[in-house]
Amino acid sequence: MYANPVAYIFSCIFVIFAHSAMLVNIWFNGNFSETRDIAVLGAAVIILDIAFFVVILFFKQMSYVLDFLLILILNMSVIFQSCFICKFNIKHYITCIICLAASKCGYILCKNHKILQSNKKYIYGGIGLLLLLVLIVYFAKHDMWIRIGSFTLQPSEFIKPLFVLACATSIADQQKKHKILIFNVVYENIALFCIMAAICLVQVKSHDYGSLPTFISIYCVGFILRICYPKAKFSKKKLVAVIAIIVVFLLIGLKYAPEYVQHRLHVDIWSDKTGDGYQQSQALIAIANGGWFGVGPGRGYLSNIFAYDNDIVFATVSEEWGLLFALMMVLTILIITAVPLINPTRSYYHATMSSCICAAFIVQMALNIFGSCNLIPFTGVTIPFISSGGSSLLVSGFMTGMLTAGQSPVFNEHRSKSKSKSKKQEEAVPAWRWKE
Amino acid sequence: MKSIKRTQRVTSLIILLFIIGMAILVLKIIHESSFYMMNSDQLQLGYVYDRKGDVLYDGTGKGSYPDNYFIDVGNIIGDEKGQMDNTLVARNLEKLNNYNFSDGLLKDGGKAAIYTTLDHAANRAVFDAYGYMKGCVSAYNYKTGEMLVCTSLPSLDVTKGYDNIQSFESATLLSKNLYGTVPGSTQKVSTVISALEIMGSGLLYSKSYTCTGKYLNQTGGEIDCHNAYGHGTQNIQEAFENSCNPFFAQLIEDTDLPFERLKKQYEKLGYVLNGDKPKYLDIDGIQCATASTTLENPLEFKTQWGCIGQGDTLVSPIQLMMWESAIANETGRMTMPYFIDHVTNTRGTVKEKAKTKYSDKLFSENTASGVKQIMLTNGADRYSYLISGYNIGVKSGTAQVQEGAKENSLLVGFVDDPSFPIAFCILIEDKDSGWLTTENIAQVLLDNLKNNF
Repeated sequence: MYANPVAYIFSCIFVIFAHSAMLVNIWFNGNFSETRDIAVLGAAVIILDIAFFVVILFFKQMSYVLDFLLILILNMSVIFQSCFICKFNIKHYITCIICLAASKCGYILCKNHKILQSNKKYIYGGIGLLLLLVLIVYFAKHDMWIRIGSFTLQPSEFIKPLFVLACATSIADQQKKHKILIFNVVYENIALFCIMAAICLVQVKSHDYGSLPTFISIYCVGFILRICYPKAKFSKKKLVAVIAIIVVFLLIGLKYAPEYVQHRLHVDIWSDKTGDGYQQSQALIAIANGGWFGVGPGRGYLSNIFAYDNDIVFATVSEEWGLLFALMMVLTILIITAVPLINPTRSYYHATMSSCICAAFIVQMALNIFGSCNLIPFTGVTIPFISSGGSSLLVSGFMTGMLTAGQSPVFNEHRSKSKSKSKKQEEAVPAWRWKE
Repeated sequence: MKSIKRTQRVTSLIILLFIIGMAILVLKIIHESSFYMMNSDQLQLGYVYDRKGDVLYDGTGKGSYPDNYFIDVGNIIGDEKGQMDNTLVARNLEKLNNYNFSDGLLKDGGKAAIYTTLDHAANRAVFDAYGYMKGCVSAYNYKTGEMLVCTSLPSLDVTKGYDNIQSFESATLLSKNLYGTVPGSTQKVSTVISALEIMGSGLLYSKSYTCTGKYLNQTGGEIDCHNAYGHGTQNIQEAFENSCNPFFAQLIEDTDLPFERLKKQYEKLGYVLNGDKPKYLDIDGIQCATASTTLENPLEFKTQWGCIGQGDTLVSPIQLMMWESAIANETGRMTMPYFIDHVTNTRGTVKEKAKTKYSDKLFSENTASGVKQIMLTNGADRYSYLISGYNIGVKSGTAQVQEGAKENSLLVGFVDDPSFPIAFCILIEDKDSGWLTTENIAQVLLDNLKNNF
């Protein structure tokens, strides 16, 4: 059992209480026509909560904070998505269960960096295969999605965790410089640059510009942490050079972006509110209509607008639950990304991984929220955990598992010495740990 | 541990940037939420009142009013239906909507309202005085800028809707006060201002030109005078009172009035010259066209005709009225007019109280005093028996429209009384179609305003 069962029980109660409060709000203010629908939704949410609390007991982790946060946000998402259609959204519910499973897979796969380091070629191979798949899907169907029944998968989404791993696993090789002519070159840097370039080309070719900033953010964070390792402080010259290069590339990209991208950059949503500015103008009207406390679950009109459950989901939640609740939802996701700040990771590899994931989550969230609210051009990416979409949820879950792995790492050399009593005594005792 | 702290710094920076972005977004949403709601289909509009609390527009649609109750201000107050774009309601839906971010859209009990400076009774009296004739009247307090009268005929009662829009007369859906019209001889006020500003009063008063009823200018253009027998030799005061076209044509030709300086002075007054991009004055969101004319060559007919107030020259009645304030106040600065005195929010709290604003200096105080004196003398000599009870400075005008087929009658002026500081512009279209004169309307206007002032 836990060293601190009180914390475990308190966390369980907190999550169930939060979800119950949302369900009570639906009961009193919601727009569900059938009481049975609320009961089904409530039962499904509470059962999933309890089941997950039991399942995590079987995983030996040093910290379970991320698990509780994950189940909290995922069941919030189930409640939101169900309210949008005024009945239990079973499809989203199943996707959330898959997301929870993916988080545990991510944790198991990524907690030992030695294994990943030695299998790096499979990571690169995986990225290559997925890029090929993106191109095949695009050229075959002029689409970005693979449809399996009522579920859709977006291959480019799966590149994100692999790319994070590629960045993290390259850290160790940063010291291995090779002299080519007069230049000291790190092969890993060249490899990662080539991967980034390939991703950019494929994304541009398949007209998926929305994901590009996410990949670029992962690459930039990975690159900054690579060039700064193992020096004691940031190399300011390199940092300035990197920022300058990014700015130059951004300016070139914006100048030569296709016409429809240029149009999105300059569209005035209020003078074109029935055309290209339709979704954003409706989203802003909906947020204004919702005010601080919302019009009530299921009572919003934005759920009649295209992409209400993914691209403009922040506005849909704001309208029905209020801006205050939507901000709390964002705060929950922010806390997930900020956990490595409170409970530091145990290695630079895991720290790099956590930073890259933080960048991916936050850039995605920023693109969605700021884009739908007309602060930046509208791109149509998803908010992790909240937006509907199989691949988005699956990948978000997997990446949360990677964050969890950073909280509870396994080191081979430690494992070999773990039998030694003295070593065991030297290990720091985390707040929540498995009693071995 | 140092290197891990470095990664934490990167993560913190990303999170911090996002939080800053979110803070900006939340502030933006709260600040602009009324504007967003204004663009929605869900509006809960309040009332528009006149200066005494009389309803000018009922956004709730629940009140009952006599037939044609709002007709005198129908096309300036307007409504939210979208048929009239350049009206007080259409341009201020945000202020009139019973919405705020904290309380949401209030279906009942909202107290959002616009309190205007208009005088409903005076508007009604002036409107009724027109009878079957058409035109427009604008009047305001030239000390404070409060718009008191802004009526335009034909008009509509917005409560009746637009089902029979096909049968509406031309220009029913717009207030003529806001759009350019040929000013006729009221334009001579601008020309006198410019001449006085450039030449000074000594030189201008020393000039005298002869009118024989017709003037053949230096390029062969013929300028007719309304008096076919001619006015003889006159100075500026006599020519102004006689509204003598040949005098002003010769003044424009005079080398003591440098043409470039004349153009600059016209631009200072707000004229758009020679087909440049039109400009608009903003009066509580309502767009009012500024003046425009052609000034190409002082020796050519077109330019002289423009300075006399015919041909291409267009000035909105409100602009004509505003110039009067710069003269009457003897400051050379126009008092900027406003319709909205104050606005109340959903809880009835007063916000956005209007303040008096002035334009940049258009001409010197000496010029303003000089023109004021000319206009007051004109008022005393020619209009004291037509508009009784007021010490007024005026200039009348007759504008040829539809290529001379019809003539409009105009009268601009001000009351020289610190306790009753009114500037006005009156337009009667097709003056020969009825008995009504601008002086009749001025009398009705001033009497009604005086009664309630």
